[in-house]
Amino acid sequence: MPAQQPPQSLQALQTALAAEHAAVYGYGVAGAMLTGHDQAKARTDWTAHQEARDTLQAMIVKLGATPVAASPAYKLPFAVHDARSARRLAAALEDGVTQAYLGLVAVTDKTLRAFGALAMQPPANRAADWRGSTVAFPGMRGSRSA
Amino acid sequence: MLAASVTTLPLFTALSACAGPNPLAGPPPLSSEVRALLQAVTAEQNLIWVYKRTMASYSGLARDLGPLLAEHQAHLTQLRARVIEPPGKTIPGTVTRKPAVPGTEATALAQLRTAEQAASTEQLRRLAGASPALAQLYASIAASEATHVTALTTLAALAGKNPR
Repeated sequence: MPAQQPPQSLQALQTALAAEHAAVYGYGVAGAMLTGHDQAKARTDWTAHQEARDTLQAMIVKLGATPVAASPAYKLPFAVHDARSARRLAAALEDGVTQAYLGLVAVTDKTLRAFGALAMQPPANRAADWRGSTVAFPGMRGSRSA
Repeated sequence: MLAASVTTLPLFTALSACAGPNPLAGPPPLSSEVRALLQAVTAEQNLIWVYKRTMASYSGLARDLGPLLAEHQAHLTQLRARVIEPPGKTIPGTVTRKPAVPGTEATALAQLRTAEQAASTEQLRRLAGASPALAQLYASIAASEATHVTALTTLAALAGKNPR
């Protein structure tokens, strides 16, 4: 029997899943522009997002809902035409995922709150890695990379 | 989306509810949420103190540690901004833990890394009893501290290869 969760929790999970879908797509674009160590790193991060996507899908199904589907294509925040812009895209993708998980921290369910807070740390770290610097408030608007 | 903004988070640090004011009873006790917030303020001050002492002892680290220190100062500003000082109480302004700075850069960085990891874990413990907006602030600071752990690990590895 599906567990009962308020609509706010389900919506926050769906938002996080949508961000993971976008990251999986975006790393495909970024990875094509990268070489060597950066490309290997992008591949590792792409896999991490696929795993996170699968986790969120399972959580949503457990709640008795249908997980939001990936879009066939996504509008990128800026043109990606070289390695530099690919690294910027990777940082932006990670910022988006971090922000989505921070949304889960605002729900009333304590388990989901803790899940969201922990889940935002890997993308915050990856964003700092791609950007080359940390930010004071990962996930908060105004902390995103350009 | 439930995303928050540093500049728009509302203040949710109300004092514990009372059945009714009693002018002879003195100030009401602090709610658990306010106590947790004051502890977060103190913890941030302690971290800032350790960073400043480490940078004073190892000036060669100042360039790398400066941005991390600035982020902790930003954390402190945001945390303090959410404290409504109750009558008779003031926001704690003192450092409660002053560990000695270790004798080498590598061990000093290791001490900072341990302090960051502990601070991040402690922020997560504050989530359950916090309002949604304050919980998001704690979670964001915890994530920031997690990125500092990674940055300090990288710095320590470099310091080990190129001891100054």
